[in-house]
Amino acid sequence: MWCTYACGSSEHTISRRGFLAGAVGGALSSLTLDPFTRPAFTHELNKQQKRVLMIWLHGGVSQLETWDPKPGTKTGGPFQAIPTSVPGIHICELLPCTANIMHHLALVRGLNTAEDDHSKGAYIMHTGRRQEPAMKWPHLGSVCAKLLGSTDNPLPGYIHITPRGNGGVNSEDAAFLGPRFASVSLSDGHAPANLDRPAALTEVADQQRHEFRVHANQRFLRSRRTAQTEAYTNSYDQAAQLMRKRDLFDINKEPPCVVDRYGRHDFGRHCLMARRLLEGGATFVKVMHTNYDTHHENFDFHIEQLGEFDRPFATLIDDLHDRGLLSSTLVLVVSEFGRTPNINRNYGRDHWSRAWSIALAGCGIKGGSVSGKTNAEGTAVADRQVNGGHLFHTYLSALGFNSKKNFYIEQRPIPIADPKAAPIKEVLA
Amino acid sequence: MLLSRVLLRPQLALCLLALSPAVLFAEAPLHQRIDQAIAAAIPDFAHQSASPATDAEFLRRIYLDLTGSIPSAAEVRAFLQNPSPDKRVTLIDRLLASPEHARHLATVLDVLLMERRPDKYVPHQAWLEYLRSSVAANKPWDQLVREILSSDGADAKTRPAAKFYLERQAEPNLLTRDISRLFLGTNLQCCQCHDHPRIEDYKQAHYYGLFAFLNRSSLVVDKKLNMAVLSEKADGEVTFQSVFDPAKVTKSTGPRLPEGPPLKEQAVEKGKEYVVAPVAGSRSVPRFSRRALLGPTLASAENESFKRNIANRLWALMMGRGLVHPLDLDHSANPPSHPELLKLLADDIAARKFDMRGFLRELALSQTYQRSSEQSSPGKEPEPTSYTVALLKPLTPEQLAWSLMQATGLIDAERQALGKNATEAALYARLSPNVTPFVKAFGNPPGQAQEFDARLEQALFLANGAAVRGWLTPRPSNLIDRLGKISNTDALAEELYLSVLTRVPSAEERKEVTDFLTVRSKDRTAALQDMAWALLASAEFRFNH
Amino acid sequence: MTTAPTPKIDPAKTHLLKEYKHDSPLLGCRFDPSGQFVFAGAQDNNVVRWHLDSGKKVVLTGHKSWIRALAFAAGPHAERGDQKLLFSGDYVGRILAWPVDGDQPRPIRILEGHRGWVRALAVSPDGALLASCGNDHLVKLWSIPGGELIRELAGHACHVYNVAFHPDGKRLISADLKGIVKVWDVAKGEAERELDAKILYKYDPSFRADHGGVRSMTFSADGSLLACAGITNVSNAFAGVGNPLIVLFDYKSGKVKQQLRPKTPFQGTAWGVVIHPEGFIAGVGGGNGGMLWFWKADNAQDFFNLRLPNNARDLDLHPDGRRLAMAFFDGAVRTYDMG
Repeated sequence: MWCTYACGSSEHTISRRGFLAGAVGGALSSLTLDPFTRPAFTHELNKQQKRVLMIWLHGGVSQLETWDPKPGTKTGGPFQAIPTSVPGIHICELLPCTANIMHHLALVRGLNTAEDDHSKGAYIMHTGRRQEPAMKWPHLGSVCAKLLGSTDNPLPGYIHITPRGNGGVNSEDAAFLGPRFASVSLSDGHAPANLDRPAALTEVADQQRHEFRVHANQRFLRSRRTAQTEAYTNSYDQAAQLMRKRDLFDINKEPPCVVDRYGRHDFGRHCLMARRLLEGGATFVKVMHTNYDTHHENFDFHIEQLGEFDRPFATLIDDLHDRGLLSSTLVLVVSEFGRTPNINRNYGRDHWSRAWSIALAGCGIKGGSVSGKTNAEGTAVADRQVNGGHLFHTYLSALGFNSKKNFYIEQRPIPIADPKAAPIKEVLA
Repeated sequence: MLLSRVLLRPQLALCLLALSPAVLFAEAPLHQRIDQAIAAAIPDFAHQSASPATDAEFLRRIYLDLTGSIPSAAEVRAFLQNPSPDKRVTLIDRLLASPEHARHLATVLDVLLMERRPDKYVPHQAWLEYLRSSVAANKPWDQLVREILSSDGADAKTRPAAKFYLERQAEPNLLTRDISRLFLGTNLQCCQCHDHPRIEDYKQAHYYGLFAFLNRSSLVVDKKLNMAVLSEKADGEVTFQSVFDPAKVTKSTGPRLPEGPPLKEQAVEKGKEYVVAPVAGSRSVPRFSRRALLGPTLASAENESFKRNIANRLWALMMGRGLVHPLDLDHSANPPSHPELLKLLADDIAARKFDMRGFLRELALSQTYQRSSEQSSPGKEPEPTSYTVALLKPLTPEQLAWSLMQATGLIDAERQALGKNATEAALYARLSPNVTPFVKAFGNPPGQAQEFDARLEQALFLANGAAVRGWLTPRPSNLIDRLGKISNTDALAEELYLSVLTRVPSAEERKEVTDFLTVRSKDRTAALQDMAWALLASAEFRFNH
Repeated sequence: MTTAPTPKIDPAKTHLLKEYKHDSPLLGCRFDPSGQFVFAGAQDNNVVRWHLDSGKKVVLTGHKSWIRALAFAAGPHAERGDQKLLFSGDYVGRILAWPVDGDQPRPIRILEGHRGWVRALAVSPDGALLASCGNDHLVKLWSIPGGELIRELAGHACHVYNVAFHPDGKRLISADLKGIVKVWDVAKGEAERELDAKILYKYDPSFRADHGGVRSMTFSADGSLLACAGITNVSNAFAGVGNPLIVLFDYKSGKVKQQLRPKTPFQGTAWGVVIHPEGFIAGVGGGNGGMLWFWKADNAQDFFNLRLPNNARDLDLHPDGRRLAMAFFDGAVRTYDMG
């Protein structure tokens, strides 16, 4: 059930079950409810093995201290703009390593999402939609897990590497796509819980007990097989496959010099883990770097946070490129919003969604391109204004999908991206 | 007796069903009429349907459904060996009267009503105890609902019942949605802004009619009482417009049930609107309370939706699927699989004054409930609405946790440790913390109904997690300890299967156990743990069949 | 400078003297040694000079970024053709030398000082050396007559926020973001010891960032006391939730003599501190508005305070010992008279 209206009232969200009105059959798990068995959508693209890397700069990174510097203006702050590997494109001096790989990146500088609230801004940037009371939209990660992933991939389709303290499965971000495509959070880049075989259990013994289990299941399921029992028995195979891939989560399997290159701090380690996961077949990996919500001492804190971001990010892009993966990996560097051009009394910048920037790279993206311009002081978009909907279209197009298509839930068409927006062609290859 | 032979013929059964419920009630018990209705819906039902469940099948199923856990090996042996022809009825009655049943049904009601919302205002323990004692006293459902919908949290004695309101912050929109879903089986959520676009029966006026019982209420942290309670104003009218209406006509409504008459609101003398007047930092109590009308109006035998909802939900609890499915989308375009049967059940539970225990008893006595889950055509999943075969029900997180504790012998070990202090309450107090990780891994997100899901994180939890592993470590009188003391592999296999799967092993299974132990003769304890784990992780254990 | 007998100084009678307005927020301010001018560094990349009596304003252009660090060279070594010098340091790491006097001073020397911000400058008592510090973790010593770099003092592990010469000229003090205060032997160029001002530093675990530092630092005239100003009790670095604190060290022993705090709770940072020759300590803060406090060295709580029009970011004492200058967020320098 979905409303095209933004009803404007709180507490008006529909759960996934709302779609199952009148559905028959005991097989009601999302696994059999495959919205893509409609002629409108094919799975051919799954075979081309694409993947997505989302860098989430949590708190709202300042566009003036990153992608759209305005040195020497009232709003520009103390930092200089530096040239990049692309003649004509300058970014903030705080991103020297990133400046060297600008030819891989595209910038969208005309972003206006008109939402200065953290969670609402984050919602827009994750789903390509404004928050609506009657409808929960799935995250890009869940959508990509669905469109790009395959059922025999043991890795969770949507992996979220977060700083310490946030872990687990967040089944709400998959919305109507179902919990199967929900993000799995890896707190502080630790592997999913219980991934290691208990010390006292040998591999042989584990194998033997699984065999015993399988035989028991075969007997039972001879006459009691349902979609739910299938899903349950399969989950052990998935778990076993994921256990075999346990090393993907261990960055210490990399040579020390590589760990050094990324940086021996959280974000560096997490970027390295993201690379391993992407190389290992992960479909969508989101890495969170926190925090950028610099209402106070914006400049000192951006020195610190971007100082952490710059090198591992550039290293990661370089590595993906060197390994031939960049052209099939869509990369986005996003935040919930930007920061005010106005500098407040505490050397801070506040929330600002009216004229800000994000960066893209990789699959389907035209490296070295820029879409949009802000005015001299960055107080408004001067050219090619776009919103979160346009970005979502752009991501899908970059991955090779027709972003104007629909999901089909219970035979009801649901546009995969906001129908009022379209891809930003200037940044597409 | 003559009547029962006549009733075997479908056509006559249909004729009898056309008679008034009052006549039928006098004639045949509910469980028989259930079976008639089920059989009547399918031509050649007798051939299509599975055989009755075996004693072992029935035993496990009834224990899970009525007490939330599997039985012990000793209980299995006793039941299987019991020659009495009434043993199933006796067992049903014994379980319904047990403290474990009260605890289990209380837990079911907790998850139903609170959907695992965080415990901010009322401690979970107090709320669960309220539900448990209500079930133990066989408090009728309508009375329970009236209590829940009329408590304002101010009186310590009735405060736990106010949890339904309080944890939802007394937010009228959320309450309207959840009350319509959980007590009326009608999800009016979409009607907040307009008539339901797809469901003709659900109207915006219905939404706001319910909303009007609650719009004057709010959550207040009362400084004197030093806690959050419900406050209510004496004024505040409800108006609404449809976002689909270009003319933007404004309508208004007073409190009323969907399709119900408007309620008479008591006129109050000016200046005397309040029993406790509004003051900042404390709750106000109006002389005439709209909210106080909600419970008595909604939770009544006169309310068709109310009785259908509880009948349907209790049916789903036992049978694995509501006659109306999903449970909160009862409307004319989503008819029940057996419309007459649902009406019968609704009228029956109302006639027995919402006695849930009596109703559950009838369901348990039916052949429909006691049918085997074994499919006649292997691999072909039958139509669930046919009830030709009993439906598999995934264990809830709580059932899974308790059953694992029972199967591994943890409960028995704890019972032994407590000795004569081993009451249900004492065991529950000791062991319920073990349920938390299972709720975390298998439970629904807060605010959503419990649904089955099979994620690899859950498989990892069961395969490698410390909880189950710990329970499989030998400890005096637990499963692995007991198995370790049995040298005869046949007897060992029996003890294993009786404890874990609530049945005796087949010849094939006995051989498998023997072979496994032979291969693993060097580390017998580990072998026992591994076999036990394999069965605990099997589909047969995970599902209630 | 007036020669008439000045009334007794009484901080409790501190009042606003004059406002000098600029159209961009200011970061730092200093009186020049002759007492004629007040200079300020601004967010529009300019240094601004006001003649105190006439109010005449001159904008000194030449920097390419914000300026907070200001220091003067006085004494025989400082003069180049009878000019007294102002040194200003900016956030692209450059140090410019200007003549203090003249209608329109222009930079007469540019030192490529540091990689990243120059946070503070100090001139040795004999006027021969300029000390600078900054984001490259370095402290540098420059020759004022020749302009060449004499020494790089490495050892800090983070941004160096402040430098000050001991009045005896033999020691240089530098202090950083993490509250480490190093004492350097100027002649040898070696770190001798450290003082602990770590109370002025916090790693905020929710925002995962370092916050604090010694924002302002000064010696008493006799060199016995060292005051370090900053923020403490930080519970939310990104919202600036914390309280001003001035740590008063007994320089010789390195021990904390007093922790000077506002009597009335104030949310913000202590941005400027001076130790008056008469022994009291003045500090300014900015956060939820601006405040001026006065303390005695033997009492942790201020004996007098004054609300300021808005966030104050720096504080200096006039050579006459009665006037204070403060640099404000609203772009003004305000002078206050203590008495």
